[in-house]
Amino acid sequence: MYYVAKVNSEMCSTYKCNMCTLYCPEPNTLMFDKEHKHGNDHGTSWVDEDRCKGCAICVYVCSDLLNRDCIEMAMVTTEEA
Amino acid sequence: MSLRYMIPASKFKRYLPKDYVELVDYGPFGRKYSEVGVKNMGAYKELVEEHPMCSGCWMAYYIKIIFAALPNPENTVTIGTAGCGRLAISQAAVPFVYGNYGDQNAMASGMTRAFRLRFPDIQKDVITIAGDGGMMDIGFSMTMHAWFRREKFTTIMLDNEVYGNTGGQESGMSIEGAVLKMSPKGKNFGKMPAMQLAITAGCVYVVKMSPTNINKAAKAIRRAIFAARNLGPTFIHVYTSCNIEYSIPTPDVFKDAKEMEKGRFAFEEFMTPEAKELFAQVESKTKREVS
Repeated sequence: MYYVAKVNSEMCSTYKCNMCTLYCPEPNTLMFDKEHKHGNDHGTSWVDEDRCKGCAICVYVCSDLLNRDCIEMAMVTTEEA
Repeated sequence: MSLRYMIPASKFKRYLPKDYVELVDYGPFGRKYSEVGVKNMGAYKELVEEHPMCSGCWMAYYIKIIFAALPNPENTVTIGTAGCGRLAISQAAVPFVYGNYGDQNAMASGMTRAFRLRFPDIQKDVITIAGDGGMMDIGFSMTMHAWFRREKFTTIMLDNEVYGNTGGQESGMSIEGAVLKMSPKGKNFGKMPAMQLAITAGCVYVVKMSPTNINKAAKAIRRAIFAARNLGPTFIHVYTSCNIEYSIPTPDVFKDAKEMEKGRFAFEEFMTPEAKELFAQVESKTKREVS
């Protein structure tokens, strides 16, 4: 089981602020697509779950600082990750 | 180094590690800062790869900013020493030299001079990146003497106010009274005045900060590198908390950095008149160059 960040693409794509990506301490982990990928038409942040260490700084940025609640932490199994 | 050096023949591409191929295809080498840089992090392949630093480590975050802010990554060499930071710095696609216990600034002095002789027509940037122990305790004399000699390279001190990867001993940069695992009675003397020491020793550009504003942090790094190329030594003293030794819950690491910014790591910037003139020239030339 791993604790990783999950981005709600639908909500994220309404803001497209990219702030979580700028404050993630892990490189190449919390990415941002300007174009439509990952099942979304408008661009969104997305998490490379294999690299996420579960610190939840992105949740602090998205929920506490920006009050947008687009990211939550979730437990995943190795099969899901 | 020619950029062609790193581009694999197309037939061999599929046999190479995915991360390497991604770096060639989507990395920042040879691209404009306005296309990559800190503002676009997450939209291109960053130079730093996966590393074993702790979850939520603010030092790892700042190291990420350093590499995203480099004005010339293909002609940059970093030098570090024992400490947490080298675990991530050594995972970047930029040549890294491991200094032996605090001698990073002595090595950088020789390397900078050698580069000027060997590559007189290429600007090579040398950056030393070490923790507070490596820079102000163990490597103190070599750091200071490099500054006294006016060696032209950038020194970045990642200050977590503790010896983080050896169990939590106090360092010269820990604050007075700091109680740590290996200093249970609390530290008996105050924090060393690193910024004042750098100014006194002759650094032409000195910054003290807590990295909470990514653009401001990148601007300071780029200014330090530009000034070191032309004028003399530059120094960045940055707060990079140790959430393990100071027991900061990982979701609160950024909040802690913001608190520090209001206190002893309030943003301070020193520059000589020559450095000020240089920045005015560079920044008027192209605003994107340093922002």
